[in-house]
Amino acid sequence: MMPSDRTSSPDRSDWLDALLAADAAETQATYLADDGFTARVLAALPGALARPGWRKPAVVALWGAAVAGLAVATPDTLLGAVREGYRLVASMPVSLPGLAGAVGEKLILTGAAAAYTLRDE
Amino acid sequence: MPDPALTDAQLIARALVAQDQHAFAELVKRHQSSVRACLRKLTAGNHALADDLAQETFVLAWRKLAAFRQEARFSTWLYRIATNCWLADARKRREELLGDRVDAVASEDDETVPHVDDTHADHARGSSLKVDLERALAALPAAERAAIVQCYHNDLTHEEAAYVLGCPVGTVKTHVLRGKQRLKAALAAYAP
Repeated sequence: MMPSDRTSSPDRSDWLDALLAADAAETQATYLADDGFTARVLAALPGALARPGWRKPAVVALWGAAVAGLAVATPDTLLGAVREGYRLVASMPVSLPGLAGAVGEKLILTGAAAAYTLRDE
Repeated sequence: MPDPALTDAQLIARALVAQDQHAFAELVKRHQSSVRACLRKLTAGNHALADDLAQETFVLAWRKLAAFRQEARFSTWLYRIATNCWLADARKRREELLGDRVDAVASEDDETVPHVDDTHADHARGSSLKVDLERALAALPAAERAAIVQCYHNDLTHEEAAYVLGCPVGTVKTHVLRGKQRLKAALAAYAP
């Protein structure tokens, strides 16, 4: 039971070495029964492992790349959607409360989507 | 439930990727005995405190599992966390810190470790020797006790003990040497 890098030249005459080795052997031979220890550890665990610090920037970058890629791959579709949206909005009767409501609704939806994407467990 | 035949590395991967607490539970079952035994030695036989620190050790291991780089065995990594938990607790209890006495030890009087009364030498060398060894270990400075527990009771190499204790290999060797000198002085009555 000597420290491994000393086993090549152990001091066999060292009575304290022998005593410590015997004590260590006895300790290692004694298996401590679990007795609910593992269950207590599991009960004390937080819900999830800590996420790495690079996760948020990576998620934002991936979303940005996805949107940019979509815009590059299908420019006509996106432009058409924007034009159609503009045409619909322009044909609607505009009132200040209605406009404020629409903007508020969009802000809430965007915030909720961002919060969901960047949520922590 | 995870297959008990899985290696530690496979269980760690499962715990990390799927946040599988059952895989982590298997790791706890495998290593709880050695970690608790190590802490019982470090806390000088305070079983309740050792088990509290062992629980704290495994909770910290779960939280930091993503930081485990496999540069050491999982058991060695656990010993490192356990030793840090013990030192943090000792700090709270205003006990001496690991390494605090590196420079001071040389000038200290060996009387810090109580000598075994010579009259005890006539006693049976079985249980009384064991009890006196426990007492002498408990009386060692924290750094020396930790080094001896890691090198002998946990059967680590000096390099592994240095990783666990967060100090250079030379410092570990010094702590072991000085700790043994104190133990010899304390247990002189049992010397052949």
